[in-house]
Amino acid sequence: MSKDYGDYQLEEGGRGEAKEKESVSRRSLLSIGWIASLVSLIGPGLANIRYLFPNVLYETPTAFKLRKPAEYPPNSISFEEDRRLFVFNDRHGFRAMSAVCTHLRCTVGPFGPGKGATSRCPCHGSLFDKQGRVLSGPAPRSLDFFRLTESPDGRLQVDTQDIVSADMYFKV
Amino acid sequence: MDDASGTLGKSKVSRLVNWIVSTRVWRSIIRHGNPDNDLDRMQAVFTNFFLHIMPARVHVHTLRPTATLGLGVIALFLFFILIITGVLLMFYYVPSVDRAYNDMKDLQFVVSYGVILRNMHRWAAHGMVAAVFIHMCRVFYTGSYKPPREFNWVLGVVLWVLTMFLSFTGYLLPWDQLAFWAITVGSSIAAYPPLMGDTIRFMLLGGQEVGQGALLRFYVLHVAILPIVISMVLAVHLWRVRKDGGLARPREGAGGAHPTSAVGSGDWDTGKTYGLMALARGVTPVVGTQAPEEEVTAWPHLTFRLLVVFVATLTAVTAVSLLFDAPLEEIANPTHPPNPSKAPWYFLGLQELVSYSALVGGVIVPGLAVLGIMLIPYIDYSPEAEGVWFTSDRGRKLAWKSSLAGAVSVPILIILNAQFGLRTLWANAPQIMVDIVNPATALLIGMAIFSSTVVRRTGSRRLGAIALFSSFLGALIVLTIIGTFFRGANWVFVLPWEQTGAGH
Repeated sequence: MSKDYGDYQLEEGGRGEAKEKESVSRRSLLSIGWIASLVSLIGPGLANIRYLFPNVLYETPTAFKLRKPAEYPPNSISFEEDRRLFVFNDRHGFRAMSAVCTHLRCTVGPFGPGKGATSRCPCHGSLFDKQGRVLSGPAPRSLDFFRLTESPDGRLQVDTQDIVSADMYFKV
Repeated sequence: MDDASGTLGKSKVSRLVNWIVSTRVWRSIIRHGNPDNDLDRMQAVFTNFFLHIMPARVHVHTLRPTATLGLGVIALFLFFILIITGVLLMFYYVPSVDRAYNDMKDLQFVVSYGVILRNMHRWAAHGMVAAVFIHMCRVFYTGSYKPPREFNWVLGVVLWVLTMFLSFTGYLLPWDQLAFWAITVGSSIAAYPPLMGDTIRFMLLGGQEVGQGALLRFYVLHVAILPIVISMVLAVHLWRVRKDGGLARPREGAGGAHPTSAVGSGDWDTGKTYGLMALARGVTPVVGTQAPEEEVTAWPHLTFRLLVVFVATLTAVTAVSLLFDAPLEEIANPTHPPNPSKAPWYFLGLQELVSYSALVGGVIVPGLAVLGIMLIPYIDYSPEAEGVWFTSDRGRKLAWKSSLAGAVSVPILIILNAQFGLRTLWANAPQIMVDIVNPATALLIGMAIFSSTVVRRTGSRRLGAIALFSSFLGALIVLTIIGTFFRGANWVFVLPWEQTGAGH
C-alpha cells in the first residue's frame, strides 16, 4: 500500500518536475518549429541566387597581344578594332588607352588629326582628350590606360586589368 | 419565293439551334438559359469562367467612352495579341548570338507570314507601352486612385514598370545593333547604384561582357519570368477593380454627398430583391447608394463594347503591321555603336536625362519618379470629385498650366546647362557635384517645390497632385521630343530636318 502510495507520490512528483522542466508551451514550440522551417528556406533561396552567378566565364582573356611596336607608325594613334583600345606612339613611347566610355561603355569615336584632337562618344556625347580626360559630357571619370609590356615574340602585350596612370610610357 | 425559302431556311436553322442548346451536352457546358432576360444575362457573366472577372451589372457611367477612353482594356487586348504573336515567334527564334539575327531575317524573308507576326508583335508592344501610360494619365486625371483604390494604383504603376521591362528585354532579342548597344548601356546603368551595382550587372549579363549569357538571360526574362509576373499582377489589378467597387465614378447626390447606407432611408425602397451576384462591396453598386436602375447588365452592354474595342485594337495593329515593317538594324557589332545610338522613343526621355548623369538621370531620378507616382494616393486621399476629369475647372486650368511649366522648363534647363554647366565653369569639379548639379535634379526639385506651393496656396492636396503629375508629364513629353528629334550624331543638338540616323 505504502509502496503504491509512494509510487503514486513519485509519479506525482515526477509529473510535477516534468511540468516545471517543460517551460516551453505547445504553442511556442510549434511557432519555433514553424519559424525554423521558414528560416530554413532562406538557405535554398540564397543558393538559387548564387546559382545565377557563373563560376567559369568563357570570355575573351583580359591579357592579349597586339602588333609589333614597329608596325605602329611614329606619332600616331592606332585603334585596335577587336580590343576597343587606342595605341599611342609618340616621342616618349607607347601607351594603350581604353576606348570604352566610362559613362555607359559605348566605344568612343576616333581622334582627329592635330594636337588638340578629341574623341567623342556617340551614345551620350562625352568628350575626351588624348590624356583620356573628360572635357564635357556625362562620363564620370577619365578613360583608363593599361600597362603595356613586350611579349617574348616581340609584340606589344596589354592587360586590361592592369590600369596605370596616363603618363606611363612603354619604351622599346 | 425568296422570302418564303428564307423563312423556311431560318426556321430550320432556329430549330437546329434550339435542338443544340437543349441537348444534354450543351446544357452541361452552358448552364444558363438564353440571355433574353436579366437573370440569364447575369448568369451568362456570373457562371462563365472567362467573363466572371466582370461584374454581373455595371453602372452606366462606367460604359461611357469619355469615362475611361477604354485604355485599360486596349492595353489588355494588346497584351493578349503580344502573347499570341510572341508564342508563335518562339517557334522560329533561337536565343543564340550566332542564330538570333539570322532568325529575324528568316522571319522577315523566308517564313510564311513571319514578317506580319513580327511586325504585329513589335507594334503591339509600342502600343501597349503607350496605352498603359495614357491609361495611367486617365486614372490620375479622373482622380480614380482615391480610397479605396489606392493600392490598385500602386499595382498599376508596377504594371507600367513591368511593361517597360518587357519591352526593353524584347528589343534586345534580335541581336542587331540596337539590341547589343541597348544591353550594353542598360546593364551599365544597372551598374551605377553604389555597392550593389557591379554585382547586379554581373548577374544580368551572366558575365563581364555582353554575349551569349546576356542574350539567354534577357530571353528567359522576356518569355518566362516577366510574362508570368505581369500576368499575376494584372490578375490582382483586375480583381481589385471588382473588389474596390468597380471603376471610380462621380458620387451621386447633390454636392458630392455620399450616402453610405440608404437602405430603408426612403431613398430607395422599391421592394425589389437582388441576388448576391448583382452586388459588390464598397462604394459602388452597393444596394442603397443609388437606384439599381442606373446599372445595366454586363451582358450585353459591357461584353459588346469589349468586343468592339478588341476588334478595333486588332484591326489597328494589323493595319499598322501591313503598312510598316518593324525596324531591324545591322547585325550586332561589339566594336562600334551606331551613331547616333538611340533607344526606342519611349526611352528617349530617359536617354536625354542619362546624357547628363548616369547615376542621377538613369537611376535616382527615375527611381524617385516611380516611387513618387506610387505614393500619390497616400498623399492625396481626399474624397474630392473622384471620377470627374480634372476634378474641377480650376483643376483643368492647373493641369494645363503645370504641364506647360514642366514642358518649358526642360529646354530652359538644358540651355542653361549647356551655357553655364558645372564643367564649363569649373572644369575639374568633383564627379559628385556634376551628378547632383544637372537638369534632372533641377527638374525634380522644381516640381517638388512647385506642387508643395500649390498645396499651401490652395489647401487642396488634389490640386497639388495635379500640379506634380502634370509638370512631370509635360517635362517627360518634351524630354522625349528633344531626345527623338533634336539629338543627332554624337548626341549633339541638331534640328529635326538635319537628322541622319534611323529611328525606332
